[in-house]
Amino acid sequence: MSDEPRDATATAAADADAEVTGGLADRWASFRDREISTVLLTVVGVAVFPFLFNNFLDGYTQLATLMLIYGIFAVGFDILLGYTGLLSFGHAVFFGGAAYAAGIFSASVSSSPLLVLLAGTAFAVLLAWIVGFLSLRRGGIYFAILTLTFGQMSFYLAASPLAFLTNGENGFTSVDIGHLLGVIDIHGGVPFPLTMLVDNMLYVFVAVMTVLSVAMANRILHSPYGTVFRAIRENERRAEFVGLDVWRYKLMAFIISAAFAGIAGSLFAIEGNYVPLESLYWTESGRIVIMTVLGGVGSLFGPLFGAGLYLYIENIVSGFPTLGPFWHLILGVVFVVAVVVFPDGIWGGIDYVRDKVAGGEDK
Amino acid sequence: MRWGESGVTLLADILTILLNGLQQGAIYVLLAVGLSIILGTLKFVNFAHGALYLLGAYLGLFITGQVPLNNGQLAEWGIQSYGIGLGFIAALIIVPIVVFVIGLLMERFVAQAFYDRPDTDQILVTFGLAIIVQELLRALLGGSSQPFPQPSWASGPIALPVVGNFPRWRLGVIAITAVLVLGVYGLVEYTDFGLIVQAGTLDGEMVRLLGIKLSRPYLVVFGIGAALAGVAGVVGGPLANVNPNIGTEQLVPAFLTVVIGGVGKIEGAVVAGLMLGTLQVLLIQTGYAAWSQVGIYALAAIILLVRPQGLLGSEVDVS
Repeated sequence: MSDEPRDATATAAADADAEVTGGLADRWASFRDREISTVLLTVVGVAVFPFLFNNFLDGYTQLATLMLIYGIFAVGFDILLGYTGLLSFGHAVFFGGAAYAAGIFSASVSSSPLLVLLAGTAFAVLLAWIVGFLSLRRGGIYFAILTLTFGQMSFYLAASPLAFLTNGENGFTSVDIGHLLGVIDIHGGVPFPLTMLVDNMLYVFVAVMTVLSVAMANRILHSPYGTVFRAIRENERRAEFVGLDVWRYKLMAFIISAAFAGIAGSLFAIEGNYVPLESLYWTESGRIVIMTVLGGVGSLFGPLFGAGLYLYIENIVSGFPTLGPFWHLILGVVFVVAVVVFPDGIWGGIDYVRDKVAGGEDK
Repeated sequence: MRWGESGVTLLADILTILLNGLQQGAIYVLLAVGLSIILGTLKFVNFAHGALYLLGAYLGLFITGQVPLNNGQLAEWGIQSYGIGLGFIAALIIVPIVVFVIGLLMERFVAQAFYDRPDTDQILVTFGLAIIVQELLRALLGGSSQPFPQPSWASGPIALPVVGNFPRWRLGVIAITAVLVLGVYGLVEYTDFGLIVQAGTLDGEMVRLLGIKLSRPYLVVFGIGAALAGVAGVVGGPLANVNPNIGTEQLVPAFLTVVIGGVGKIEGAVVAGLMLGTLQVLLIQTGYAAWSQVGIYALAAIILLVRPQGLLGSEVDVS
């Protein structure tokens, strides 16, 4: 990419800055802003996560895997909602669509996990091109309603007219996943050194995909392309006046976010060996909206955190004695409070507090 | 479907489809008119409109009769049934009043804080509220479906000329909808109140400069919109079972009806609702039941792409 030299200079400048000002917080900030550190943090995060989760938070590895899958979905959704300012209520199409495509591909073409992943993602991208092309003709609420319309249309298409492909209301059950690169059993255990951290191969596979996705999102958002997305969010008209083809950038943001949804959807099919019809229903689109907003729009790690929190409440808190039956209600209340009080979500709140503590001026 | 040899059967078939379409569309219209006037005048996107429908249905159940509780928290706390058994007519009168008040509270405490925030925030907060209402009902009353009995005076078939036997309640739905929609239309078109609301929609700042306070008419518009959703719950309840999901299920077609008809246009909502209802019934009765849902979304997508401002919407409304 053409932005790399400039990026490097910027990092060097930040380094120099850090040396001058010295303080621990500044040094941390300059470390944090580098691409390699983002990736390293993610690697460390996903590596120790199942251990901490299973031992201290009542978790289990399968849920940790699901959290990462939805995390990828949310990171991609945030590129659209948080960075470009477009609220889609139809992203289940790309998640569920990719899951179906991956499942059908695995059953009838090839069962190689990597090819299945590729097929699902490619399908999501193709679909996003069409849906985005049609939905982006209108802004604001019309965009939300048009995406919702296409989402529901695909749900009902999969439910009965296409039931011969999708198996209708029972969901797609014939997912067939083979060995990774022909040798590694993806649903099996892990070799020795890894056993200290995690107990199955599937988590490792999903974790690697998570790291790659985060790195990819980070690269996109820190490139000039990502800057244009932000410019569109801040003031669409002004972005147009400086000569940017706003419509094209919006479409690309839509397609990029759908690609992430596609990766997540394909992994979802691989993980569960099953694609439920509900994965296309509009409440699934609503789920990803909640996850992203709860965690924090406009940040890289916020949506990952939000996805984890949502699934934690859904699966762990729901088992608590008195609180359990009200888990969905609690989630709704927390979500509304987040929208009203912390428009930047929980992660944004943490960021805000940290900036205050560090005594730094606003960025 | 077998097209009859004689013209009479054909005519009867067409009329049946139209009547059923009218009834199917009636619920969409009731929901859409409320949604549309709120969106048109207050510029507020209410994703909780389906939740008001849901509240209306459960309130209707509560007022009409006694409903046994099988699961949910209330049952666990030892309450076996709920309801005050005042009958259907009472529900038809009380529910809109209660939901009207809920609408007023919503405008004051939720909507007002969000008028100046972006559309997306309005969608998010009302979506969250809808989840709270739905899940509160599910947690307390359980998630199972409750039959909503048809009022005894309107159950059973009625013999119509040409069409033959037709469910009496479906005619009731059509009649109630017609009365309510005409009432709201009259209120907006032919009263001083309606005049102020319409003027406010076109240019709120100018109306305020003329010394007319808009906050109260806006409050009332929100209340009326909410009350219509509540009535829709009572009227639509007996057509299918009542469970906590019916709100989210109805919200999407209602929104489609609004945008197809043109935001803020009552006539538009009526035309669009009837179109969607008739199309759906037509597809079901001609043997394409599998396509009936896909059909309405496809029709909506086509109309919005060809005529983004909606069938009766004016160019000015386009944001």
